[in-house]
Amino acid sequence: MNKRTGLLAGLILSTSVVLAQNKPKPEDVQTFTLKNGMKFMVLEDHSIPNANFYTFWRVGSRNEVHGITGLSHFFEHMMFNGAKKYGPKQFDRVMEANGGSNNAYTTENTTVYTDWFQSGALETIFDLESDRIRDLAIDPKMVESERGVVLSERSTGLENSNYRVINELVQSVAFVEHPYMFPVIGFESDIKKWTQADLEKYFKTYYSPNNAVAVVVGDVTAAQVKKLAEQYIEPIPAQKLPDSLRTVEPPQNGERRATTYKDIATPNILLAYHTPATRHPDYYALDLLSGVLSSGNSSRLVKSLVLDSTIASRVFSNMDQSFDPSLFSIYAIAANGISAEQLERSVLHQIDKVISEGITDIELQKLKNQKLMEFYHTMESINGKANSLGTYELYFGDYKKLYEAPSLYEKVTKEDVQRVAKTYLTARNRTVGYLLPEPKTNPSKNN
Amino acid sequence: MRQLSFVLLALLMAGTSWAQTFKVPPYQKFKLKNGLTVYLMEQHEVPLINVSAVFEAGAVQDGNRYGLSNMTAEALLFGSSKYTKAQLEEKAEYVGATIDTYAGKEVAKLSASFAVKDQDLLFDILQDVITKPTFDQAEFDKYKQRQLLQLTQQKESPRGVVNSYFNRFVYEGHPYANPITGTPTSVSAISATDARQFYLKNYTTDRAAIAVVGDFDTPAMKKRITELFGSWKTAAATSPKLSEPTIASDKSRVLLVNKDDARETTFLIGGKGITQNNPDFIPVTVVNTILGGRFTSWLNDALRVNSGLTYGAGSRFATFRNSGTFAISTFTKVSTTTQAIDMALMVLDSLHKTGIDEKTLSSAKNYVKADFPPRYESASELANLLTDMFSLGFDESFINNFQKNVDGLTVAKTRQIIDQYFPKNNLQFVLIGKADAIRDKVKKYGAITEKEIKADGF
Repeated sequence: MNKRTGLLAGLILSTSVVLAQNKPKPEDVQTFTLKNGMKFMVLEDHSIPNANFYTFWRVGSRNEVHGITGLSHFFEHMMFNGAKKYGPKQFDRVMEANGGSNNAYTTENTTVYTDWFQSGALETIFDLESDRIRDLAIDPKMVESERGVVLSERSTGLENSNYRVINELVQSVAFVEHPYMFPVIGFESDIKKWTQADLEKYFKTYYSPNNAVAVVVGDVTAAQVKKLAEQYIEPIPAQKLPDSLRTVEPPQNGERRATTYKDIATPNILLAYHTPATRHPDYYALDLLSGVLSSGNSSRLVKSLVLDSTIASRVFSNMDQSFDPSLFSIYAIAANGISAEQLERSVLHQIDKVISEGITDIELQKLKNQKLMEFYHTMESINGKANSLGTYELYFGDYKKLYEAPSLYEKVTKEDVQRVAKTYLTARNRTVGYLLPEPKTNPSKNN
Repeated sequence: MRQLSFVLLALLMAGTSWAQTFKVPPYQKFKLKNGLTVYLMEQHEVPLINVSAVFEAGAVQDGNRYGLSNMTAEALLFGSSKYTKAQLEEKAEYVGATIDTYAGKEVAKLSASFAVKDQDLLFDILQDVITKPTFDQAEFDKYKQRQLLQLTQQKESPRGVVNSYFNRFVYEGHPYANPITGTPTSVSAISATDARQFYLKNYTTDRAAIAVVGDFDTPAMKKRITELFGSWKTAAATSPKLSEPTIASDKSRVLLVNKDDARETTFLIGGKGITQNNPDFIPVTVVNTILGGRFTSWLNDALRVNSGLTYGAGSRFATFRNSGTFAISTFTKVSTTTQAIDMALMVLDSLHKTGIDEKTLSSAKNYVKADFPPRYESASELANLLTDMFSLGFDESFINNFQKNVDGLTVAKTRQIIDQYFPKNNLQFVLIGKADAIRDKVKKYGAITEKEIKADGF
């Protein structure tokens, strides 16, 4: 074969490879489960010489009770503070020296650890992760300094985010029985008081390999990952998993309201409605409903309250992902001269219109198109892939659902969106929070 | 969350990695007859097209009408010859496309992302908004009302405004002090006509570039872009080159911004930094990584890990074309304000006194190299890189040689870098917090100027 035809064949070959890559598909993901029950998902992507290692633990603030609120999140911090082989500070020092960095986040449902690294560091990452999963040392000195860090994290969140303030308030009122009432960061008094024994017990209860799912995406091979997982993680014994959460939030049978104050310019409001867990079939219609209300400038709430009138300066809605029934919420900030009551009425008017008149074909198709684009953007980066694979595996029960998401949204009808609005966005099922500007000092009036 | 993201290279720029070398994917660059520079780069991972356009139209062009560049960039999307604002939004959002505009300190950018199958529509929209925006008066006035409220509300987050106070404080009198989003007073006085005139003067083809990255065939895209933008006629650019600012460093000064209900003190401590084309940009980045650019950095180790004073502490170099600043940044509860400041100063001092050893340097090099490729992973990041290369005046050799240049840094050179670029004396302090509670304690750092956070501007 001469050089020229060789080149041509190469071109044709690479074109077909390109076309194949154009469609992300579930078969690209390779999975295996270790003997100790820890499941791995691996997705090769060689576009940059980097990889990541995400570990999703099935533990979050929903596993807490009064007295230990915030402990899941505190644990997220303590997992970096020393184990048997790598003592205090060594986890970060060794990882960074090998071309890696990390972070972690905690939600009501999960605790997720994220390592990003040049792909040559894969074995070091396994060594570090296995050390802390197997032999975390909970050093009392580290506990004390980390307590200060978390108090500062809580404080800086409340200082810089009005949403944080109103969201904690609404959560605490919308749930009267289920632990979704707790803020993930925990109550200040609990943060100051939890004990060494609380921490040791929590680690033993929840940090068992069979309570986790790992995702590795990037410039690695599945064979490499499997070999290292068997070497480093498999010897860590499984433990009995904790009993599943017993408490079920009872149906809400009447509107609840709560108010708090801060030195702010205009009122903030948050409306929250109880909705089913993510695995419920109504999830997709509820998520599209959220999009109809607030995704983009042509969405109903943004257009009517922010752009076409001067009622709100900002509005967004959110459909939580959760293991247990949670909340669909709408947050809005009033424009100048608009009261919280006026703002609330305007939001409710738009919700009522969806309930009474439904949505249009164009709105529905727009949202479906946006979901498809969202999927492509997720699949553009190794971090988007890793986070989404783990999220779908835990919240939807199967990572393959990530790939099916565009078609599952495609199945939703206008009638579905109207039905879920009518079913869930009712007055009885609603909690309304107000965050108001501090009242002007007026001694004769009792605020 | 475990930590706020470290703004290591948030400095704007770039580098490569070392497991394998990371290189900028191949692209084509050419100039249209009207002077507009075009970059085309094929990326076929997903069926999307990304556009980034850059114009010499940032806040330094505002004069004393602070916020004009930002309002002009926003107003590009308030309607064009063929589309009203609502039509633009409906059509783009219907197909899941995004179009965004913003102004920074020196340039303004437009970015867009859409599916390959929608490219006819989106390119038509992009051509119309870039070359024939209408600056609709009614839409502009509504936007202005929203913007005025935003300006008040942004003061409710000290972290969101502390950099604006710092810039104003150290660049007083120079265009680099211009607050990008303006102030209530300046924004109130800006009209749709002002925005139109700003557009005609500063959105000129001779100092602009457009980059297209995504799932397309280069010859066809070249034809398309030439047809869309080849006949666009604009005025010639007239803005003079900016003078080099002087950063106040004759004595230590303190700007104390009072926030009555503060539960913590948010602060920056700094001084003169480097320009973005400084030949020592990479060595400075590596040394700063050690001081305050990663989790194990000396600042974070001292203020967070060892003492629990804060959730996070770091340092950064913010770079412009003709200047730059260095700053340490963190926050702590009101009662530990001076303890945290003193500790931060001690860490900076130890950088000067003890310098950096071989082991620490080697760790930082590995960290910086690995941190680099993910910044240029998606097609939209690559499109943005190409227009940055245009506006900041660097080429792919900066990226392609990044690894080599990081590796070339020696311990001896870090000593010189520390002496030359890391401020030591006459530091500038900006503190946002409860003035009554900390005033007496912080006067030891320098002459105090006080402001109320609710007062106009910065």
